[in-house]
Amino acid sequence: MTQYFQDPALWGLIAGTPVAATAIIRGRKKISELRAEKAELKQHYANLEHHYTEAVEEAKDRAEEATKTTLKSAMRTLQGLASEQQLAISKLQETYGEHKILQDLLDIDHMNSQFARRAQSIAVLCDGWLGRRRHNASLYDVVRSAKGRIRHFTRVEIRSQSNFAIVSRAVEPVALVLAELLDNATSYSAPETMIEINIRPVPKGVCIVVDDAGVGMNEEEKARAAQLLSSENSASVSSLGNPPQFGFTVMGVLAARYGFTVSVDSTSPYGGVRAVVLLPDDLLTSLHEPEESPAVAASAPLPPEHPPGQPAPGGAAPAPRAPAYPAPGRQPMEQPAPVQPIAETTAGGLPKRRRRGAISIVPTQTESTETPARDSATTASVMGAFQRGTQSGRRSTNASNEGHEVQ
Amino acid sequence: MTPDDEPELEHEAAELVRPYVITNGRDLLDGSEFSLITLVTVHAEPPRTKPLDPEKLRLLELCSGGFLSVAEIAGHTRLPVGVVKILVADLAREGHLYSRAPIPSAQLVDRKILEEVLNGLQARFG
Repeated sequence: MTQYFQDPALWGLIAGTPVAATAIIRGRKKISELRAEKAELKQHYANLEHHYTEAVEEAKDRAEEATKTTLKSAMRTLQGLASEQQLAISKLQETYGEHKILQDLLDIDHMNSQFARRAQSIAVLCDGWLGRRRHNASLYDVVRSAKGRIRHFTRVEIRSQSNFAIVSRAVEPVALVLAELLDNATSYSAPETMIEINIRPVPKGVCIVVDDAGVGMNEEEKARAAQLLSSENSASVSSLGNPPQFGFTVMGVLAARYGFTVSVDSTSPYGGVRAVVLLPDDLLTSLHEPEESPAVAASAPLPPEHPPGQPAPGGAAPAPRAPAYPAPGRQPMEQPAPVQPIAETTAGGLPKRRRRGAISIVPTQTESTETPARDSATTASVMGAFQRGTQSGRRSTNASNEGHEVQ
Repeated sequence: MTPDDEPELEHEAAELVRPYVITNGRDLLDGSEFSLITLVTVHAEPPRTKPLDPEKLRLLELCSGGFLSVAEIAGHTRLPVGVVKILVADLAREGHLYSRAPIPSAQLVDRKILEEVLNGLQARFG
């Protein structure tokens, strides 16, 4: 046993153990310190990365905002111009209604409408101005308006009319959404096929169903469309893709903002896409607005305190304006008949016109053709004017023209 | 440029439904079947057809009081005359309307006849 005590290796071992233990402990300590440092660094790095992402995100947002602001104001100018131009075209169409040029004016009008719609779509993406705010309009008119905003509008057939009307704030959005749907429908179907629109009342409101006979969409496209259509967050201009695809994004934004739904996930009976716009009750109204009777308003010359171009008080229709055509051959006896509001309406919701003689050139047998009695002052002024006229006529033509026809 | 997103009702907004949509993009009539002063009125017994467009209904309403000229219809409906002619032609073809030629203005007597009469009178009495 003692031999072991004398062995220096033992003593070495005894002395070495604490040293080794110390070394190990120190090593462990060092390792844990390093670990902590590493974790700290990792944390730091993550923070940096986070800040960096945030900064990039912020820069992107700011760029997006700047783009939107720029586009928004640019589009607003374009929209204003398009709207001004539309008015100018309308006036030209009235002025040259009987000329051949009307055909060209109608074509230009069509192009202008398409141009206005494009500008409107971009404006919607930039949270911009939607354009003219309208009066309440019948659903049928809104659908027809939408139809007029696409290129191949003659392929669109509206199969049903309805008595529903759309409230003023939703007129433009619904028309724009429908126009985008119709644009898709005409673009993705053969040129000789028709696009059908049906209007169906449902318990939750009214559905506008657009059926095309195109190629349809695959599951992936449907999923993407559904995602765009339901997205409530604001659309981003930079993620439209190239070539940019506005349609579904615009529809999604408008549907979310005005509270209706658009879906394109079903198949039409013709194998194409069936798009359904569901308008809830709060966007709908009935057509029976107390509209001032247009027939009477139009036939009676407007009184002077009612200048043309200004809407009549209480008139729902934007129409009232003095008749553009003073009808040739109108009898001078035609005095403005007393304007009476007419309560009856036809089945189609239009104000019913009473039989009146004043409007027609050839009065019917039963109607009196007597000249309305004039009071003495009017008679005097008419006679005075007549006399002045004949006198001035004699003075001016005496020298030059007399005897010309007799030779 | 105003910052509001909901602009006020514009007093002078163009019509919602454009005339080219009302005609469904058809070409204007080139024939002279209907002129500005062609008179039209409704048939006593309207045919049963599919529901008419609001513009056509309005046109029939306007004509229900007697004969009305194409020009007057255009004035009342504020539609271009060319468009009114298309609508009137449609309605006439479907039997809702019938037209009547305008009352001819008094014909001027031919100058040649007058001269012959004068010559005759002079030969006889002159």
